[in-house]
Amino acid sequence: MKDKNLDFLKKQYLHTPIPEELDSVVKKALKDGSEHRMKRNKLIKRTSVAAVLIVVFAGVLTVGINSSPAFASALEKVPIVGGIVKVLTFKEYTVNEDRFKADIKVPAIEGLENKELQNSLNEKYLAENKKLYEEFMAEMENMKKEEGGYLGVDSGYVVKTDTDRILSIGRYVLTVAGSSSTVFKYDTVDKKEGILITLPSLFKDNSYIEIISENIKDQMRERMKADDGFIYWVDVDENEEFIEPFDKISPNQNFYITEEGKLVISFDKYEVGPGYMGIQEFEIPTEVIADILVSNEYIR
Amino acid sequence: MLLKNKYLEEQIAEYAVKHKENFYRLAYSYVKNADDALDIVQESVYKAISSMDSLKNPDYLKTWFYRIVVNTSLDFLRRQKRNVAVGEEILGSFDFGAVDSYGDFDLQRALDNLPEKYRTIVVLRYFEDLKIDEIAEILNENVNTVKTRLYKSLEILRVKLSECEEV
Repeated sequence: MKDKNLDFLKKQYLHTPIPEELDSVVKKALKDGSEHRMKRNKLIKRTSVAAVLIVVFAGVLTVGINSSPAFASALEKVPIVGGIVKVLTFKEYTVNEDRFKADIKVPAIEGLENKELQNSLNEKYLAENKKLYEEFMAEMENMKKEEGGYLGVDSGYVVKTDTDRILSIGRYVLTVAGSSSTVFKYDTVDKKEGILITLPSLFKDNSYIEIISENIKDQMRERMKADDGFIYWVDVDENEEFIEPFDKISPNQNFYITEEGKLVISFDKYEVGPGYMGIQEFEIPTEVIADILVSNEYIR
Repeated sequence: MLLKNKYLEEQIAEYAVKHKENFYRLAYSYVKNADDALDIVQESVYKAISSMDSLKNPDYLKTWFYRIVVNTSLDFLRRQKRNVAVGEEILGSFDFGAVDSYGDFDLQRALDNLPEKYRTIVVLRYFEDLKIDEIAEILNENVNTVKTRLYKSLEILRVKLSECEEV
């Protein structure tokens, strides 16, 4: 009876469905590994069939301040409760077919007193997602001509922080095509003043780039020391060989501000570590940046 | 020296391509979803090639490779337990992975519920058809420990099954 049971389990095991992208994933990893060994400076990355989709947010977004008439009228239909700033789903694009799935939720901010800012953000969100959707459809048409392949996009938003003063809204795009990729983008708004808070605007000068980067590297080393499973592209000791290391944050690195008034720096999948690490966030202790903050208005 | 390396790399690459489905199934048996299993295979193959200097003797290619996959899978599970990354939770609901179609079987459940160090041995011995000494090599344990755990696993499985049958 033992053997019969084990045979059954083995059969189940051998019937694990094999995704067709396995082959390309292995080949890509072989190539990456080999290049890494040769050059020791190649970032581990699985490019996907739909790489084009991932690039969407990397592109420069030119957004007109005036919203389109159609867009403005759609927003006007939303009842605005006096002075309350809200984020809601303005529009949703969905595709649900066997090999093609898309769920794209477009957020819209309402209730900001600064309508220009509100419209420009909302129009940016709409433009980003419309583009994402159109590219998805184009890629889908292309792939339909071929036999296999799978394409999925999930895009939406999360409100990270919503206090009297601050609204931090994060939009994500998850693409699945050969492999998965996740991209997060944040906007942080001062509701009272009606301004968009950028990372440089929080600091007196550019020294924040170095100071924050050094702190993040320390945090990375601590996390790696505490858990073998954590891997970041950062040197732990001099002997260690590392791949194209994390050097510093970009001047406009993704960030948001927590309810407690802490600055959080965010990195996309692959940005500072191997893919399985996913999205990585680092809260910067306020005392580290206290000297260079313009004020304690937002960050405490 | 260089030629030897080139040859070794080819051997590893060939092995990876030939056994990719074995590695995938093994990874899947840990994480139970396609996307994570793919990530693990990718990571394992990448590690194998980029750190092939750690393979001292090419005769151990097979156990060395399996060891990388097992360790990468276990690392992944450990990390998942205390992953601080936000976002992924939200995204987790968006899962294209194949549905666990045999989840209802008591037998399968009994296997899945085995502690990791026991389950791994059952999988490697009976599903991947590896020899006891190969498994010992992969897990860096001595042969007797592996044997003991294997018998213990079968015992647990049998007890659980008979319990099920009685009910």
